[in-house]
Amino acid sequence: MDTALDAWFADEILVHEAALVHYLRRVWAHIDDVHDLRQEIYVRVYEAAGRARPHQPKSFLFATARHLMTDRLRRGRVVSIEPVGDFESLNVLVDEVTPERRLGARQNLRRLADAFDLLPGRCREVVWLRRVEELPQKEVAARMGITEKTVEKQVAKGMRLLAEHYYGATQSPADDAQDADRNREHGRKQTD
Amino acid sequence: MAGSRQIERAAAAWLARRDGGDWSPGDQAQLDAWLAQSTAHRVAWLRLQAAWNQSDRLKALAAGVAPGEVPARGAWSASPYAPRGEAQASGQDDRATAEPLDPEEDARAVVAQASAAAPATAVTTAPLIGLTFTPRATPRSPRTARYAAAAAIALVAMSLLWGWQRYGVVEHRSYRTAIGALDTIGLADGSRATLSSDSRIDVALSRAQRHVALEHGEAFFDVAKDPGRPFAVDAGARRVIAVGTRFSVRRDGPDLRVVVTEGTVRLESEPVDGRTQPTTLLPAGSIALAGANGVLVRSGSIEDAERFVDWRNGYLVFRDTALSAAVAEFNRYNTRRLVIGDAAVGELRVGGNFRWSNAEVFVGLLEQAMPVRAERLPDRIVLHSR
Repeated sequence: MDTALDAWFADEILVHEAALVHYLRRVWAHIDDVHDLRQEIYVRVYEAAGRARPHQPKSFLFATARHLMTDRLRRGRVVSIEPVGDFESLNVLVDEVTPERRLGARQNLRRLADAFDLLPGRCREVVWLRRVEELPQKEVAARMGITEKTVEKQVAKGMRLLAEHYYGATQSPADDAQDADRNREHGRKQTD
Repeated sequence: MAGSRQIERAAAAWLARRDGGDWSPGDQAQLDAWLAQSTAHRVAWLRLQAAWNQSDRLKALAAGVAPGEVPARGAWSASPYAPRGEAQASGQDDRATAEPLDPEEDARAVVAQASAAAPATAVTTAPLIGLTFTPRATPRSPRTARYAAAAAIALVAMSLLWGWQRYGVVEHRSYRTAIGALDTIGLADGSRATLSSDSRIDVALSRAQRHVALEHGEAFFDVAKDPGRPFAVDAGARRVIAVGTRFSVRRDGPDLRVVVTEGTVRLESEPVDGRTQPTTLLPAGSIALAGANGVLVRSGSIEDAERFVDWRNGYLVFRDTALSAAVAEFNRYNTRRLVIGDAAVGELRVGGNFRWSNAEVFVGLLEQAMPVRAERLPDRIVLHSR
């Protein structure tokens, strides 16, 4: 277990998730694949970084994304890709367009609060009681009149959705299109 | 291999179970085994765990909320942290107190202070960040600057004439480029000048002196070494002098920008009201911005300086640059202008390398990556907030 690598992964790679997902959605014709692609990209980056840490994590992340998509196209696992504009310039844009790591503590908190507010009602309540008030699982279950197992399930769901919204959030919360995007994804998450 | 969603669910279940208490060494062993099974498990776990650890900070929002009560959605503006609906005031406060200020940000703050100290004249620091400020003794109005510029040009013309009579001219001619065109010129002394879009230089080489007048635009000079014959670039009231070096000089109205990528150059200014102005030595890596109210110099790495002259390779390089400044850069190279539709758009910050010849792609990317809507008109593209 390499904790330095894990910390590196969280600090240098996960922070770019919003940009990465945005990029994948744009160039990959099948939105449903994006979750899968994202995971596979993370796997490749993590494994490569275990051998040697890339100097420019964000560029490396996007280069890995491009290689993966190229590989998939070659293997014919996917039939079509929508080429959006000039691939060359896409390469360079992703380099730096969103300076995620510039987030200050307040912006970070705001992003968390936004992510938290996007949780469905019961899930949101469970997360608040468990995470913020740190009530024992048993007490949360008693208070809400649900089983402990349900509390745990809601926590698990909260973890997934928080990660999705926290890392997937864009810089400006005022961005309506992005909000719609997030809500749509939110809806899909709940139904699946 | 299981689908990524299943893996994510499994990871979340593990994490929630561990979080729920009743966690035995046997459970930990099982989790370890699961994590060791595949990197996909591991990254999914790391991601959820990192976000969940972050969510610990939500506690900061609990201030003022009664225990056992879950605050309503969006009810955060009352909290001292004001995470939502951030007001203008708190935004400014943010800038003043935000803790992880990176060095660039620090330097920008210095510039802001410096410009506040001399409010009479606007400082255009747009593409330059991280500058130190040397205030001029007496701020000049743009009008006197213009007179001075005119006088300087006259003076240059006279000295050129004198030099021509005295030493005999080896080369004396003008070069210009149209918008969107670059040109590299080999001069008679072996130096080379690269003219940026919409630029003009007048070159006068004699046996004793090398003079270039930058009339407008920007030029990059790769100067052939000749210690006995200094290479001087005149631009308005200022003069940049090099022996053998590589640097660029650019005029933006009354402002001058000098970027040095090799060697050292000397920046001189015409006397103002009879007082001589300090001479600034610029080593490689310097970026100097000479405006109506002084000279700002930033000394950085050579790579840093190089990115200001990357236009020679067809690129504009932005790093946390205000969109208004980025747009101004594109407009130097294109006849179809980019126009900032409202102030909010101009304040967005962009980064990356872009082909200056392809503003259309730049705009397309802005639309996709930022809250920008583009209105495409035949002669210009107006950028609005979305």
